[in-house]
Amino acid sequence: MKSLSAGWIAGGVIGIAAIALVVVGSPGSRTRPAATPAMAPVAAPGSVAANGFTLASTSVVLPAEAATFPAGPHADAVNAHCTACHSASMALTQPALSADQWKATVTKMREVYKAPIAEQDVPAILEYLTAMPAQRAAR
Amino acid sequence: MDSLNAWLASRTSRRRLLGAAAAAGVAVPAIAQQLVDLRLPGGNGERPLTGAFPGKGSMILQRTHPPLLETPMAVFDQSVFTPNDRFFVRWHWADIPTTIDVEQFRLKVFGHVDRPLSISLAQLLRLPRVELAAVNQCSGNSRGLFQPRVPGAQWGHGAMGNAKWLGVRLRDVLDLAGVKAGAVQVRFGALDKPAVPGAPDFEKALAIDHARDGEVMIAFGMNGEQLPLLNGFPCRLVVPGWYSTYWVKMLDTIEVLPAADAGYWMQKAYKIPTAPHADVTPGAKDFPTEPINRMIPRSWMTSLPEGQVVALEPSIPVGGIAMGGDCGVAKVDVSSDGGRTWYRTTLGPDEGRYGFRRWDGRVPVRRGANAILTRCWNTKGVAQPMRPIWNPGGFMRGNIETTTIVAA
Repeated sequence: MKSLSAGWIAGGVIGIAAIALVVVGSPGSRTRPAATPAMAPVAAPGSVAANGFTLASTSVVLPAEAATFPAGPHADAVNAHCTACHSASMALTQPALSADQWKATVTKMREVYKAPIAEQDVPAILEYLTAMPAQRAAR
Repeated sequence: MDSLNAWLASRTSRRRLLGAAAAAGVAVPAIAQQLVDLRLPGGNGERPLTGAFPGKGSMILQRTHPPLLETPMAVFDQSVFTPNDRFFVRWHWADIPTTIDVEQFRLKVFGHVDRPLSISLAQLLRLPRVELAAVNQCSGNSRGLFQPRVPGAQWGHGAMGNAKWLGVRLRDVLDLAGVKAGAVQVRFGALDKPAVPGAPDFEKALAIDHARDGEVMIAFGMNGEQLPLLNGFPCRLVVPGWYSTYWVKMLDTIEVLPAADAGYWMQKAYKIPTAPHADVTPGAKDFPTEPINRMIPRSWMTSLPEGQVVALEPSIPVGGIAMGGDCGVAKVDVSSDGGRTWYRTTLGPDEGRYGFRRWDGRVPVRRGANAILTRCWNTKGVAQPMRPIWNPGGFMRGNIETTTIVAA
């Protein structure tokens, strides 16, 4: 950033102070609104509200992945090494890729995304991936 | 062309049979799992529809874990605003918090600042508000249509959505913390984490001037409601006109940096060729790259699905949506003769230059298959090109899209 003039700094300080006052709020508004006057925004338990907008605490259950890699030579290896981080569909939906492209993908999973795959397990995984139906169909 | 005709014919006859069966009240056998065909070149484009995700209606299931959910194209025909429960979902890492306590959550601002901050949501809600419409589009939207095909999430066109985002200016929050002289970038981090220790946490960075441009915002509202958890509750970054890789979900850290972010997600991932239109020869390697950035104009016909059979008339009504990319939509033209003749369409209300714009018009059709092309020009004078680009990441598709309609 460029050097600042005294006037700009003064204006900035005033602006920041104004924003800070808005954010911090009055002392009364920092307590929970249980016994505050009717004017204060009333937030239900597990929610916060201000200026007409409410955010409510949220808890969800994400669906568990039921599918695994279909049976085939070395299916155990891919199910053991790939599905902790992602569904089998990530691989099964890929277009026909070359053996080199699959090798590059597995290398990225190991070296960049730190998939705990021992080097000796890589050939089996590659053998499975390159033999998936969508891969074979294109050859 | 022969294979296309054969395919169209097979689709046509099947549609007619289904239509006849429905008209006659014949029960169609229940299908265990409804499939959508994204029509990806070379196949493998069938995906199940799912309604199993919290806060989400019927979505195209690309991946359950971590979720990749695509919006069906028909949703975009209903409104230029994509309903929250149909908005696409994309997560990188498997460790996604499933419980957010709005009283405990803090947004932390630190790094090259005068006053590090820990902002509660109650405080965030009290800052001056801004609201704007903006398209959130995955960098790899339509990746599945690249030819030659490339690895990655095999999206159709539905890894995008348009919402009215309500929140606060990032600039105001940065000013509150006091950005020190010499700041270069601002890096954004989130609550989701890699499942494996040592893997690179998902973080993205913007140049300090971009972060302070008054448009980049921290959004807590989406189409008038709080964000669905899967779209980044309680707050996410909104970077109008830029691809959604920068729209960090479940945003919880804002770090001002005195140097460019050296992290994996800026240095290695989401990189595009610096060549015009991010276009390189298929298979090219070792070309100069840069982080993906501004979006480009796109348009889609949504009023009729691919392969739809219509009654033969001299012309038919067509409609859809368009986006200007990093600016507004100037016009949308349609063609049914391969781009030799273009017909101007009528644009719907302007809901904001970064959002979707509705268009409606008519094109002449002939008996048989009609390839209908849509072309958007944005307000910077950029038009969608006819020719698709290629790059190994499958990023930034933006060519004129074609929808085949059969007039019979």
